[in-house]
Amino acid sequence: MDNQPTAPRTALSIRGLSKTYKGGLEALRDVNIEVNEGEFLVILGPSGAGKSTLMRCLNRLVEPTAGAIFHQGREITSPKQNLRDLRRQFGMVFQQFNLVKRVSVLTNVLTGRLAYRSAWRSLFYSFPQADKRIAVECLARVNMEHKAFQRADTLSGGEQQRVAIARALAQQPAVILADEPVASLDPKIARQVLNYLKQISRELGITVLCNLHQVEYTREFAERVVGMSRGTVVFEGVSSQLTDEVLHRIYYRDPGDADREDAE
Amino acid sequence: MTAPAFDSVVAGALREEAGIRNRRVLKACGWTAFAAGVLYFTATQIGMKPAALVAGLPFMWDFLTRLLPPDLTYFQYLVGATIETVQIAIWGTLLAVLFSVPLALLGARNTTPHILVFHATRMFLNALRSINELVFALIFVSAVGLGPFAGVLAIALHATGMLAKFCAEEAEGVEKGQVEAMQATGASKLQVILFGVIPQVIPAFISYTIYRFDVSIRSATVLGLVGAGGLGFSLIKTMKLFKYHETATCILVIFLLVLVSDWICAKLRARVL
Amino acid sequence: MAAPNVSAVASGMPGADRILRELQSRKTWRVHHLLLAAAAIAFLTWCADAVDLRPREVIYAIPVIGEYFARMWPPKWQFADNLWQPAAETIYIAVWGNVIATLIGLPLGVLAASNVTPSGVVRNGAKAILNLFRSISELIWAIFFVSAVGLGPFPGALALGMNYGGILGRLYAEAIENVDRGPIEAMQATGAGRLQVILFAIFPQALPQFVTYNLYWFEVGVRSATVLGMVGAGGIGFELVTAIRLFEWREVGVVLLLILGMVTVIDFASTYLRSKIY
Ligand SMILES: Nc1ncnc2c1ncn2[C@@H]1O[C@H](COP(=O)(O)OP(=O)(O)OP(=O)(O)O)[C@@H](O)[C@H]1O
Ligand SMILES: [Mg+2]
Repeated sequence: MDNQPTAPRTALSIRGLSKTYKGGLEALRDVNIEVNEGEFLVILGPSGAGKSTLMRCLNRLVEPTAGAIFHQGREITSPKQNLRDLRRQFGMVFQQFNLVKRVSVLTNVLTGRLAYRSAWRSLFYSFPQADKRIAVECLARVNMEHKAFQRADTLSGGEQQRVAIARALAQQPAVILADEPVASLDPKIARQVLNYLKQISRELGITVLCNLHQVEYTREFAERVVGMSRGTVVFEGVSSQLTDEVLHRIYYRDPGDADREDAE
Repeated sequence: MTAPAFDSVVAGALREEAGIRNRRVLKACGWTAFAAGVLYFTATQIGMKPAALVAGLPFMWDFLTRLLPPDLTYFQYLVGATIETVQIAIWGTLLAVLFSVPLALLGARNTTPHILVFHATRMFLNALRSINELVFALIFVSAVGLGPFAGVLAIALHATGMLAKFCAEEAEGVEKGQVEAMQATGASKLQVILFGVIPQVIPAFISYTIYRFDVSIRSATVLGLVGAGGLGFSLIKTMKLFKYHETATCILVIFLLVLVSDWICAKLRARVL
Repeated sequence: MAAPNVSAVASGMPGADRILRELQSRKTWRVHHLLLAAAAIAFLTWCADAVDLRPREVIYAIPVIGEYFARMWPPKWQFADNLWQPAAETIYIAVWGNVIATLIGLPLGVLAASNVTPSGVVRNGAKAILNLFRSISELIWAIFFVSAVGLGPFPGALALGMNYGGILGRLYAEAIENVDRGPIEAMQATGAGRLQVILFAIFPQALPQFVTYNLYWFEVGVRSATVLGMVGAGGIGFELVTAIRLFEWREVGVVLLLILGMVTVIDFASTYLRSKIY
């Protein structure tokens, strides 16, 4: 693994990305971000900044209106890109966990393997032994293997999120996209979940992009931070550079500022 | 606030209340008059007269005395018909389940392969729903002959329309997050349906299927009136032979069967949900 | 793609084997599962055989049924002229069936609701009557009323009223039992009498539910009313039976299309009205 801090390789490069939703709302405006291989990058911003939209553009749950995204040098926003191939390289973790509630924890993790298997086999809800092994090992990574046979909706929020991380991991992804993974958890559990994500990033060299809106967690966990406000990147740097002035720029920019910056 | 000002506020409020009340009363009178007109017109159209009802009372009483008491010895001849009624309902519902799963997926906005397929499926389901089991039974009796087979098909078609529409609506109402999570793993469209939609729909589907079975039992008790098997056939046969005490037994058995099925189905549904 | 970092996930992990073994043992079919499955299949096969549902029959039936429906095409449109009156009658029957059902269901429903009627005897009596009305299909009621007041739509409306009165009565009772207790207690605290509590605390809360049920069962009633004519209780069912008896399939087609149109329009109207209630 060449993951030397001196010469980081670029995993993702987002160039001139814009998204205007139907109805004319500009959620992203000319976003440029470089993400290094294996890093734990936090995207910080207030509600409505466009963080989720950015993540969804990465695995194309949302189609960007302009700009391009390159993953390991390949353009993944091109129309030729196979969606199935793309999405299985990006594991996603959601704020609301989004586990399939009525099935077991293990089956939930196994759904991370769906993109590798034919739909016909899925018709019988059956998975190969190799997939089961991967699923159990991913569960073990987040210390949830003892709940493998329990129904997902019987778990606590923190446990559900750990299972969701295991599901993303079961995809054997190159990148994990965590969209406010701790917004519905209490502080203690939130730190635990973020620790798991960070550990995964460090030990497996998986690039993690994590949306957060809390500054403390960002300071604690981020290797690098991208600050967003109203659809644009307003800060890029390490977490020690998050000064009051920077935070003010991210959180309290008054409406006129955006236009003034554009004019410059 | 000074006393006169207070009084004028109160008076104003009371005036306003009176105004609102008057408008309400007027509106209510309008609607009542409209409803009364409709009811009066329809009553004349279908020959509804209280006098006819009163005049009919002695005949009803007469008929009732001829029915009662039920001839309990006839019960032994109804065991077979009762079992057949249940069997018709079982297979009618089972076939409906088999048909309705694919139809529901084609007829739900979020799982249909194409919007035109969606509209065509919904139209077909509406047709199945609109047409009563007995109408289907009449047609099928002509096509495949007298007997329970026609009844099974009739119940299956009508119940398919009901079940599939219900299931399609449930599928449209599933939690989006779970579906999105499946899409995000790179699952194909079919896999998203299998893992993101179906597990969410299953409990309601099972519960509604049980309800539909209960309704099908009730329908199956009258299919015999058009020769499509079950208890209804005994009912109409004994009536045609003027053996009213036996008819009463049929009605009693139907009543008990529906009651028992209702009770069991309610218990089962409570366990599913 | 297989980025180098990914394979690390699948490197062996202690404890995983134990869980995989447990998974294996959970998945295997136990003897009683197999017995249960066999019993279910045997039972269903027995049922299928009893109702003449055999593969040969089904394969034979499908084209035959298709042929019968094909005979309905093209519909004999001029027959529709004979149908307007019976179609309207069908709806009138459903309207009056609904009214009678409400008149029967409301008092019985109130008497059957546990939070309004304290006497267990009265309650169970009301429930028993509702059950009797509900369990006997409208067609059987129709036969009864036809023999009492003669052929025509009037006994049809009475029949619908009895059957749906039983259904609505039970639903009303449930709606009454499920109202919020707070307003009832508040009303009782003011010293209001039983009837006042019913009128001012219970009915206003349950009314939207009542209206919803009435509209829904009116829709169902229209569908039922289309077959009452089979036993001489008025409506379009009589024309349908006659056309089928005379093998006038193209006329049957017109009747079916008309029923379809009628029910669809009423469904739309009723769904719209129900959406307006809340
Ligand atoms: N599907 C959509 N259609 C239209 N507008 C949308 C859609 N999704 C998001 N938006 C809008 O785009 C803007 C950015 O939303 P986004 O969800 O990306 O923000 P966010 O930073 O993730 O906020 P939050 O912290 O609330 O999740 C918001 O104003 C939102 O209302
Ligand atoms: Mg968001």
